Amino acid sequence: MEETTQKQTNPYLIPAAILIAGAFVAAALYFGGSTPTPVAVGTGNNQPAVAQQPEPTGSTDAVRPVTSEDHIKGNPDAPIKIVEYSDFECPFCKRFHDTMNEVMDKYGDSGEVAWVFRQFPLEQLHPVKAQRAAVATECAAEQGGNDAFWAIADGYFADPSTGNNRTNQDVLIPELAAAAGLDADRFNECLESGKYDEHIQADIANAVETGGRGTPWSVMIGPDGKTYPINGAQPLAAIEQLISIATDNQ
Amino acid sequence: MYRNALQLVFVRPLYCLLFLTVSFVVLSIAILLPHIGLIKTLWQYESVTVIEIGLLVLNLYGSLGTNFTVLSATYTVLIAVLFGLQITLLTHYIRSVRSKATNLANVGASGIGGLVSGFFGIGCAACGTFLLSSILVLFGAGGVLAWLPFGGEEFGLLGVGLLVYANHLLVKKINAPLVCAS
Repeated sequence: MEETTQKQTNPYLIPAAILIAGAFVAAALYFGGSTPTPVAVGTGNNQPAVAQQPEPTGSTDAVRPVTSEDHIKGNPDAPIKIVEYSDFECPFCKRFHDTMNEVMDKYGDSGEVAWVFRQFPLEQLHPVKAQRAAVATECAAEQGGNDAFWAIADGYFADPSTGNNRTNQDVLIPELAAAAGLDADRFNECLESGKYDEHIQADIANAVETGGRGTPWSVMIGPDGKTYPINGAQPLAAIEQLISIATDNQ
Repeated sequence: MYRNALQLVFVRPLYCLLFLTVSFVVLSIAILLPHIGLIKTLWQYESVTVIEIGLLVLNLYGSLGTNFTVLSATYTVLIAVLFGLQITLLTHYIRSVRSKATNLANVGASGIGGLVSGFFGIGCAACGTFLLSSILVLFGAGGVLAWLPFGGEEFGLLGVGLLVYANHLLVKKINAPLVCAS
């Protein structure tokens, strides 16, 4: 008679293993998220320079106070401020830019909400071009103030050819600058000067300090100073709900 | 073969419920995990009610349309459905052969591989925020993402493939019960 020598195994071992693996993956996603994405940002004349990495606190309370130096759409004294850290070549930033324009259409005129735009070019994902676009908006602000900044920023995101580092910047940026009424020589000189690299680095550092590890990354500051992290391109309904929460719970 | 196995399993309401529950949980993890920081923050503010948090969470499900590419949204849903199917078929199969020795190593390995690979690719696909970029950056290889033709979404597609394979193996086993040939 042939002896059966097969081992008896626990029949629930495999489903249990799968569920445990799922739990590990979930944990990896959660804890992996606490590591900020290091970014190496090129200078205005395309010389690579490693960004100084701040100690990541991951706390939205580390958001730099909003000042007149910021690029603000809406009432600068609005009770609710949404500080967005954005990358001009990120397609999700493009989507969120549209969402934020809708938010401002609804809450901007009443002065309830202000939109603060800060730079967060991800050099590893969008080399050279994200940084160049960020510099272009800063140069526009230098020459034409807040209106010129938003004209370039809105125009850049609205152009269907932008995103994923495929933008033809040699054509688009001069076009946008001309449309904003900027002096071309001064603008080009500024673009190549590298003078805004430090400012952009400071924005990136603050994004990382507040917990940003990708774009778009935003921090909503409520009327009572409470802060709320907004990760990625959230739908309009979610932003409206968050505004409602911040307004109701001061 | 597939129709027979699926009919055998899904004729029981409990398995339908298991399938829907597991699929929903996996999909929810993929969509909501990037927002766990926001949900935790709201939870800590005592003045924010559970209803307000619940409403926000419901609205956050809309990020499947804004925070994902068409490709990543598609395979995220597929992975959730296939994983729900995998767990349901596996539960049925194990219950039906409870006391018999059987080798499910291939099925288990493919299922786990599919889920892990899928999760590398899924999650919030906003620029640089997904798991893969965090891991690659840890090893100083973040630039690999720019090199990959689909920016890391390959892992999601691989996950779908592995889960399809794991489900295929299970269906075959369900259709070939452990009986001695006469």
